[in-house]
Amino acid sequence: MAVVELDHVGKRDGIGAPILSDVSLRLEEGAFYFLTGVSGAGKTTMLRLITLAERVSHGTLKVFGADAAALDRDAQAALRRRIGIVFQGPWLIDELSVHDNVALPLRIAGAEEREIRDNVGELLAWVGMAGRAASRTATLSGGERQRVAIARAIVHRPALLIADDPTGNGGDETAVLLVHIFEQINRLGTTVLIATDDGQFARRFEHQRFHLDHGMLSDAGAALVQ
Amino acid sequence: MIADRPAAMRPEIALGRDQFGRFIRWVVALLVFIAGLGGMGLVELHHRLRASEHALAAATLQVPADVSDARLATVMALLRQTPGVQSVHLVDPAETARLLEPWLGPAVPLDELPVPRLIDLRIDPDGGTDMAALRRQLATVAPNSRLDDHLPWPQGMRAAARRVESILAASTAAALVLIAVSVAFSVRANLVADRSVAQLLHLLGAGDGDIARWFAIRSLRVGLEGGVIGAIAAFVAILALSGAGSLVQLPAPGVSHGVADWRVWAVLGGTVAVAGLIAMASARGAVRRWLARMS
Repeated sequence: MAVVELDHVGKRDGIGAPILSDVSLRLEEGAFYFLTGVSGAGKTTMLRLITLAERVSHGTLKVFGADAAALDRDAQAALRRRIGIVFQGPWLIDELSVHDNVALPLRIAGAEEREIRDNVGELLAWVGMAGRAASRTATLSGGERQRVAIARAIVHRPALLIADDPTGNGGDETAVLLVHIFEQINRLGTTVLIATDDGQFARRFEHQRFHLDHGMLSDAGAALVQ
Repeated sequence: MIADRPAAMRPEIALGRDQFGRFIRWVVALLVFIAGLGGMGLVELHHRLRASEHALAAATLQVPADVSDARLATVMALLRQTPGVQSVHLVDPAETARLLEPWLGPAVPLDELPVPRLIDLRIDPDGGTDMAALRRQLATVAPNSRLDDHLPWPQGMRAAARRVESILAASTAAALVLIAVSVAFSVRANLVADRSVAQLLHLLGAGDGDIARWFAIRSLRVGLEGGVIGAIAAFVAILALSGAGSLVQLPAPGVSHGVADWRVWAVLGGTVAVAGLIAMASARGAVRRWLARMS
């Protein structure tokens, strides 16, 4: 079954050239993908469509089998709770502790405090931040913030995990750690999509790749699928 | 694991600490202080005005003891015909004796004393009774009679007090409107900073209603806290201004009811509630509008 399905999707913002044109692809359940392309190729826009942060201009987008255009706002929110996102900037709430930042997706989903404590503690240990649970995120280094963001993206065991340009923040070491963590999550059945403008980086891993060029899925990229 | 029910989390867990909350709290405190002072001043003035009108409304006519019953009847008729006089009551001798007893003792035979006849009058303060003219007429019908209207409160003074009352009411109302406007603006300014948090929660799958509710609860709390601070300050200020004596006095006729007056509490409580509700509604509205703009 396809977790995400784009069928001739276009996205246009204003009167300029379209950001995405005629993109068709399927993200299969349990698979691991890279989305490559230079900065401005439309990667972030595509991720925003998939996470229901924006609407498609043309074509059809299905997320978890549901037509995105037909969902009301509450249904959209419910689907978003099944997706984990590592944003381009870590995007943490600096007034909250590391623990409370990571706990957000669980709290939004209405989980019990006990369950939250156990899961967050486990996750922070996994990303090597166990000792910093009570710290304010404002006091963390760039790499540490990125690791908190990773923990927040996976704490609620999402069915789909998305990372937008993780190589752009926190350095190569953090990016490799992120991919390894995502590979472990992937083995538990979660579909993973990582966007990066570093094609070299993506080629270091044995995963399927989509390549975006000027808002279009390039054939060359499709051919890289292994 | 993933529940569909709305998240029942506390606002500070969802939004973090409120950076601008302290500022808004003091803005609200100051405005509630002003509105509270005006409101309590209004209650106090209104009360005193009422008391003085009450005093003005009662008058007593003393008619010499030797006046004939026929004359007494004429006096009664005259009083009844006087514009503004609402009721006329001839106090009977037994009642007069009861009134005099504390001074004269029970043993004094009143029949043998020239005790004047008393007539109680109730006068409508707005009835336009011309007391001077009434006195002149009484002098011809019952010479040596005496009319006591207790408090010759000049009509001009009364009108002035009424104007001050209106001014106080207007400025209290203006302070309340100002609370609405400035709380709305402060909350709006605060929310610009919080917008990124609202967007993040939206992308993490929080529903519009939940996000708006968290912001609304936090603003309500800030508005109420500021309101309570301002109300306490206003109360203390009134206490200091009017001298502890008059405000803590127990209710007694003709004296300000002070803290025992429910209207003082109504004014302060109402102002605090208004401040809180405006803060809440303003935050909720702003968050709802942004979320609607997000896809």
